[in-house]
Amino acid sequence: MSPNPVTARMELMAQQVAERVVALVLDAIDIDALLDRVDVEKLIDRVDVEKVVERVDVERIIERVDVERIIEQVDVQKIIERVDVNAIIGELDIDALVEQTELGAIIAHSTTGILSEVLDVIRAQGVGLDDFCLRWANRLVGRKVIDWPKGPPLLVDQEAPS
Amino acid sequence: MTSVPAAPPSKMTIGRQGNYAGAVSRLAAFAADVGISWGLFTAAVALLSVATQLFGGTTVSLTHHQILAIVAVAIWEFLYFSYSWAVSGKTVGMALLGLQVVTAEGGRMTARQAALRTLGLVLCFLTLGIGFLGILFQRNRRGLQDFVAGTSVVYSWDARAARLRFMSHTEFSKQRGAK
Repeated sequence: MSPNPVTARMELMAQQVAERVVALVLDAIDIDALLDRVDVEKLIDRVDVEKVVERVDVERIIERVDVERIIEQVDVQKIIERVDVNAIIGELDIDALVEQTELGAIIAHSTTGILSEVLDVIRAQGVGLDDFCLRWANRLVGRKVIDWPKGPPLLVDQEAPS
Repeated sequence: MTSVPAAPPSKMTIGRQGNYAGAVSRLAAFAADVGISWGLFTAAVALLSVATQLFGGTTVSLTHHQILAIVAVAIWEFLYFSYSWAVSGKTVGMALLGLQVVTAEGGRMTARQAALRTLGLVLCFLTLGIGFLGILFQRNRRGLQDFVAGTSVVYSWDARAARLRFMSHTEFSKQRGAK
């Protein structure tokens, strides 16, 4: 502000007048009408986005983002509840899925399970009885079977003790 | 819900694949084969009888043709055993008991060996079963039919897989029970 009191008063008055005029002008302006006259598309076209992006330090922004905090704020349960699982299942082609995966083989395998188990038991019992009979037969003739071959040479290791 | 066998294949049976098979398994397999082959023969004769009655008006019966019946049975049994052995080294009964006929060295048997082994079986019966004693007392568990054909019988059953099957099944049942 000027040191001269008269000049200072004049400046103050001029400032008050200017403020009053600006306020009157702003009141008189129809902002919506003004915005309507602005060609936003043209304005955007004039903006060099590449240049703006180049000036942005993305790494720094990422560093400042607290991902853990964002994840914590996400309500997964709410998202799951909004997913229509029935609709998804309804769109699945089960036949194609069975054909493309080993699911068919697994299903077929499970249906033959009981028969396999019964056969396993019968065979295991048979092996047990085979050994029992062999032991008694050898005991009958007073012979030890330690050096006997386990099986045909092409099928078993002959070095292994029986 | 599927039933679980009372006992798994014991550790003793694991690793027996390719080992010489014992007398009991072989006897059980043979008994099963006799039953199956007789059943098939009877069914075939019955079907033939029905067919001739339908189309020719006469019935076929082997009751009054004993020699013909014996010859037919002999041919059928010969075909049943020799064909099965020639194709896969095992009959249906042997497949059930997990057995397989291989050459004395452990290779795949030929059709000739299959035919000879079938004839060897007949020889065993002609010796009143003495030919079978080799299965119990011979070191390679070979009967007369095996010596005639140059074959031996081994376990072809994978007991290790069977045990794993049992264990996985038991584990699965436990898990279901816990839930």
